Amino acid sequence: MAFIKLVIFGFIALTVIYFSIAIYSRSVRKERLEDEFDAEHPEGGAAGARDTFIAEGMQDYNNSIRPKLIGLVYVVPTVVIAAIVYTINAN
Amino acid sequence: MQRLKTIVRVLVLLLAGSFLHYVLPQHDIVQISQAEPRRTDFGSFNRWFYAQADSGSTEMENRDIFYIFTEKKETFLLGFIPRDSTETMVYRNEDTGWIWPPYFKFDSSNLHGQATAQARRFTDSADGNWAVITHYGWRIPFLSIFPNAVNITPVENPDVRIIPWFNIFFFVFLIVAIVFIRAAWRQFRERSVDPLLDAAGHQIDEVQADVAERKGRVGRWLGTWRDKNKNRPIK
Repeated sequence: MAFIKLVIFGFIALTVIYFSIAIYSRSVRKERLEDEFDAEHPEGGAAGARDTFIAEGMQDYNNSIRPKLIGLVYVVPTVVIAAIVYTINAN
Repeated sequence: MQRLKTIVRVLVLLLAGSFLHYVLPQHDIVQISQAEPRRTDFGSFNRWFYAQADSGSTEMENRDIFYIFTEKKETFLLGFIPRDSTETMVYRNEDTGWIWPPYFKFDSSNLHGQATAQARRFTDSADGNWAVITHYGWRIPFLSIFPNAVNITPVENPDVRIIPWFNIFFFVFLIVAIVFIRAAWRQFRERSVDPLLDAAGHQIDEVQADVAERKGRVGRWLGTWRDKNKNRPIK
């Protein structure tokens, strides 16, 4: 039973961490795109150009491997727990 | 106010520090003299400091717990500076199972076998049966609290150098986590909270200014009670 409890609460905790990292990562990328555009177009550029630039940049980000790497949040703790179980209980 | 803040901060740091000191693994260099099971009736307070029944068993009012009796090398500074003297140390040997703290220890019976074998070794030679015991927890005699042994490794002599790899990795990870949380919080403030506040106008600024002004009034009134000569420059 304790194992099932650990799995359920661990999954909930890791999901919270997963979404915080995902949101943070997207936010940082978006801010960088905004800064990039503003640096290239000091006068503001054409109407709607900023939004399309950012939307395209975010599309590239979504297709890249970076957001998928955040899934490691689930993998790494599982591997660490397996490693601890092995080292503690092996004689 | 500043002093109160400092006191609260120190208290929080002390609490967090003692929590980590309780939970993180430490290494003792010991000679095991005996290992035996003993029935333990928990009190309402020291129950907190024991684990639960072996992970395959059911939980009862009391149970037999393995204990390991040792002569331990004393140290200074959390084990960083070795000393020549020894002291008596008693460890309990319980499964932590899948529950807190996350040692995932299921082999208390095996460890008991190891401890008894180690106790039997070279009983006639003075420096023959040294071992490193990895444990967490504290020994508090007046509450009958014992550290929980999680691993026993026989060593050649008592002067072995132990590198606490797990703790090194743990603190590196802790620092990385704190830095990430700070960065994420700042990003969240900058991108989500601050624009909202700006949109709400300067109402909050006004309220804050009002509060500051009131604080200033109270502070000035308090100031009339202070020693006027205290801050006068010395001639």
